Amino acid sequence: MSPSMLDEAVAVLLARSLETWRIDGSVRREVDGTLHVTTAAKHLRVSRAPADLPFRWMLGEGERTRGATSISSLLRHVRAAVDPGYRPVRLRIAPLPPPGAS
Amino acid sequence: MIPVAVLTGFLGSGKTTLLARLLRHPDFARTAVIINEFGEVGLDHDLIEPSEESFVTLQTGCLCCTIRGDLARTLADILRRRDQGEVAAFERIVIETSGLADPAPILHALMSDAGLAERLALAGVVVTVDAVNGLDTLGRQPESVKQVAVADQLVLTKTDLLEGGADELLARLSALNPAARVEQASFGAIDPAQLFTAGPGVAAGKAADIADWLGPDLPSDDHAHHGHAAGGHDAQITCFAILREEPIRAVTLTLLLEALADHCGADLLRLKGIVNVAESPERPAVIHGVQHVFHPPAWLERWPSKDRRSRLVFIGRGIRQAWVEALLTVLEAEVGEVAARP
Repeated sequence: MSPSMLDEAVAVLLARSLETWRIDGSVRREVDGTLHVTTAAKHLRVSRAPADLPFRWMLGEGERTRGATSISSLLRHVRAAVDPGYRPVRLRIAPLPPPGAS
Repeated sequence: MIPVAVLTGFLGSGKTTLLARLLRHPDFARTAVIINEFGEVGLDHDLIEPSEESFVTLQTGCLCCTIRGDLARTLADILRRRDQGEVAAFERIVIETSGLADPAPILHALMSDAGLAERLALAGVVVTVDAVNGLDTLGRQPESVKQVAVADQLVLTKTDLLEGGADELLARLSALNPAARVEQASFGAIDPAQLFTAGPGVAAGKAADIADWLGPDLPSDDHAHHGHAAGGHDAQITCFAILREEPIRAVTLTLLLEALADHCGADLLRLKGIVNVAESPERPAVIHGVQHVFHPPAWLERWPSKDRRSRLVFIGRGIRQAWVEALLTVLEAEVGEVAARP
């Protein structure tokens, strides 16, 4: 998948995410690739991080900008910004049975 | 490993009758039963007469509310007594929950206790459904919907009392959980060989059982984009499958599970699947999770058939297939992009 296709796929993911989180809003993509996530209470900007920063994505809200190291991280930041009731749940993996247990 | 099965179903749906009959069957000897009754004075345990080789232990209180410590302690205790010869050397455990129990915390307790994981393997969730009143119960009691949604097997009880057919109920059950096998029991009579054979622990041990455990083909991105939503009161419960032709990198799978736990939490009632992991093309991984708690992947010795597609079956509340598709697509793309960096 080319970088621009990935950006488009992220736009689709963010739009689907708003639906899943039951947040009214929209996602718009500019020619330069910047994504605008707009809800009743928030306006967020999502863009690729500059190459000299240790992030992959940047999330802007007003004057404030923060980095995200992955799509997962970006999704968490976006949700935290638009969904006041969001309480992330950490994945838990059950313990492995000992070798040879059968 | 000792298989441990969960028997649940709404109040009056015939769990105890079913269990009482099963325990009299020679093929079901050597069974330890943990009965959870809600209220200080329980009755269910008095209705069950185990054989000499089986025994029943009782828990009071709502199992799903006090579950973690209580159930783990009870299981550890009966295993200790078995080891010390204080009770018969049982070969399986059945946990009968109260009719009001949410099965998810019970499954969490079974999956997440390190001491128990060494000795016990989940042998499936069997849910009894009253053929006469089941439809009404599903319409009125959200607990019963959740019980059906997490089932590996559904047992239709009291079919002898049916005046008409059960078509409408069966359609409702299929809409809620198309992956579950449906059996019928009249007066609790059912062949024990038909029960407790569809759980993840069983399936992970036998490649041939995987297709059965995953259930019939469900709508996937090839065929539909809206999942398999149950109608009426259960419109929030969705069941759908995600298929992938190309192998999935292990890190992508991990990121997907993390994101599902993160954003769906308790709404992810069940996720099970067989995955073609890119790093292990000859040995597929079987995954199984309830809400945010997952078993470690079980690696099959070989593919159960020529079909090497990854297949993930979701049962959830308000989880949209299109969102999961978009999430997996983006995770695959990002992991690919990072891997391709010089």
